[in-house]
Amino acid sequence: MNQSPSAGTMQAMRGEPPKVAVRVRDVTMDFGGGALAVDRASFDLETGRFLTILGPSGSGKTTLLRMIAGFQKPTSGAITINGRAVDATPPHRRSVGMVFQRLALFPHMTAAENVAFPLKMRRFNPKTIPGRVREFLDLVKLGDYGDRRINELSGGQQQRVAIARALVFEPELLLLDEPLAALDRKLREEMQLEFRRIQHELGVTTINVTHDQREALVVSDDIIVMDGGKIQQHAQPVDLYRRPDNPFVAGFLGVSTFVDGEATSDGLRAGGLTLRGTHATDISEGAPARGAIRAEQIRIDADPQALAGCDTAVPGKIHDVIFEGERLLYVAALDGLPGVEFRIYHHDPDAFDLYDIGAPVMIGWNARDMKIFKSVA
Amino acid sequence: MSQENDTKTFRYPLRWRIMDALEAALDVLWPRRLSPYSGWALIMPALLLVGILVLGLFQIAESSLHVLDRSTFMPAEEYTLANYEMVADSATYWRVLWRSLLGAGLTVFFTLLLALPYSYIMVRTPSAAVRKALLVALFLPFFIGQVVRAYGILIVLGTSGAVNDVLGLFGVEPVRLLFNFPAVVFGLVQYMLPFAVLMLAPALTAIPRETETAASSLGANWVRTFWHVVIPMAKPGLVGAGLVVGTLSLTDFAMPAMLGGGSQDFIANAIYDQFFRTADQGLGAALALLLVALGSILVGIVIAVFGAGTLGMGGKK
Ligand SMILES: Nc1ncnc2c1ncn2[C@@H]1O[C@H](COP(=O)(O)OP(=O)(O)OP(=O)(O)O)[C@@H](O)[C@H]1O
Ligand SMILES: [Mg+2]
Repeated sequence: MNQSPSAGTMQAMRGEPPKVAVRVRDVTMDFGGGALAVDRASFDLETGRFLTILGPSGSGKTTLLRMIAGFQKPTSGAITINGRAVDATPPHRRSVGMVFQRLALFPHMTAAENVAFPLKMRRFNPKTIPGRVREFLDLVKLGDYGDRRINELSGGQQQRVAIARALVFEPELLLLDEPLAALDRKLREEMQLEFRRIQHELGVTTINVTHDQREALVVSDDIIVMDGGKIQQHAQPVDLYRRPDNPFVAGFLGVSTFVDGEATSDGLRAGGLTLRGTHATDISEGAPARGAIRAEQIRIDADPQALAGCDTAVPGKIHDVIFEGERLLYVAALDGLPGVEFRIYHHDPDAFDLYDIGAPVMIGWNARDMKIFKSVA
Repeated sequence: MSQENDTKTFRYPLRWRIMDALEAALDVLWPRRLSPYSGWALIMPALLLVGILVLGLFQIAESSLHVLDRSTFMPAEEYTLANYEMVADSATYWRVLWRSLLGAGLTVFFTLLLALPYSYIMVRTPSAAVRKALLVALFLPFFIGQVVRAYGILIVLGTSGAVNDVLGLFGVEPVRLLFNFPAVVFGLVQYMLPFAVLMLAPALTAIPRETETAASSLGANWVRTFWHVVIPMAKPGLVGAGLVVGTLSLTDFAMPAMLGGGSQDFIANAIYDQFFRTADQGLGAALALLLVALGSILVGIVIAVFGAGTLGMGGKK
């Protein structure tokens, strides 16, 4: 379990303890199906920050979120929200707003009635309700749509109603369970920025769940990567991308190529080649190791001179060239390692279509970009 | 790949073969160029049935316009509204009418009140055993039939029945529980409950569980969730079930006859008496038409208020 590096360092910098909004301690969920849905998850989330839980399908993200919302009781472990243990608090007494994967708006009410619902349920002063509903519909740019029924709104507009409904009663915590998954890519990216804007405007502590790594990197202050019910890493986006703790995280964010071999003091030996790299974990020489390198950190050139600045430069062959619009993806293998297909991004707009399939090229990278991990048995 | 191998990986299903044969036969019986009329051909049987009903209705309307000739005990020749006047002037028939309406209304109310939680639990319970038990309990009475069930109620609620036995243990004198209005409504509710549950269950299934979860996260306890979310979203089912229960109760014969003991007649019992006891066809026909009119008006009002869409017929009001 990895603690966020941010918590400690920021605390020291500001010289005051940051307020912890959500504290999750050793929370485990066992549905009785063999593997644990959530396995001893622990993390702290500071007030006002935007945390994203990122992981593949079935990794336990929704389960963790539902336990925080109170819809499910953890098998063991403790959850505190703003210093109060909430284990015995039912969802309707927690101050948690949630936007659901399928939105779960009330189809028999208008947009405005949906937004007013939590205010009525939480016994706000009836005189203040209309003004507040208007304010939050404006916040999500739906000021003119209050009278519409839910089925008279577009997907993106329904999304906005769901956000307004979850925020209007000023919850201590906002939970988002992949509410953007169903939208097309353009709308999704627009809504991601929208989430960020609203979250900054209101400063509400937020936990977002997604399996979209781009979304996680774009919107979050902190990211937790989950796999198989376990927290794999908890870090800020840049740290997470640059310094993955294990091959899973390295592979889940970005496009990486993995090379299995044995560790050397300054890299990895595989297929008779010595590839330069840096140790990402404590690992002794000669131990089985796995190297990971991202597609944008590999250079490719026909001219060996061009790669003179690289710590490693090895001859290889192009296996495939894939046009991705803003960039080209080369699939290439080193001559001594025909089984490992390196994936390499090429961005130079003048040098598109430089190499054909089968062309001999030099492939190189810098030692700091190839991360060497201990092999997991 | 050999043909043998092909059949191993994919066997042409028997059901498809039957469909093929049926389609081939249909092509002969109903050539393709007739296909624009297929829709009409398909609803023809239903139209025929409705047509027969309408014909019968005309027949009844016709006979309601003749009074019984007491000398021959045959309907008189001349046309007259005397039968309708007779009904309108009769306090007894007004009482029967009012009793039927009140009985149907109360039955709808109590049936829905009981059916809603029953079907909600049946739909939402996480336990398959509970669901099955509730379903079986629902279908068992169907196999028993109305008359036997009414007889069962007679036995249980009778002066020397199980209920009075239990009351006797507490020193209560035997109470007359039968042959009164509440007994009839009790019997009707008991009879209608399965229909209502069966009509409500699909409506409740259609409500996503997440919608209720959302309501609770927005601050609603389960009572308020039920009131503000489940009931409004189940409205089509409630209206449909209410209509079916209401019309079936309004026109019911067996429960008032058996549990009312002759003192609690509904309209259907009055009609029966005219047709089969007094043999006054004209008066019976007039009452029958009144019943049809009453039922149609009530259904019309409900549909006008709630919209045909609430019955799952699509479209808005
Ligand atoms: N109510 C339940 N009963 C039994 N098992 C469950 C239940 N809910 C979830 N699980 C199991 O727990 C594991 C984690 O599920 P969860 O829904 O948390 O995944 P997720 O990360 O949200 O996935 P996705 O991205 O597909 O939504 C899965 O293996 C799932 O099958
Ligand atoms: Mg999920």
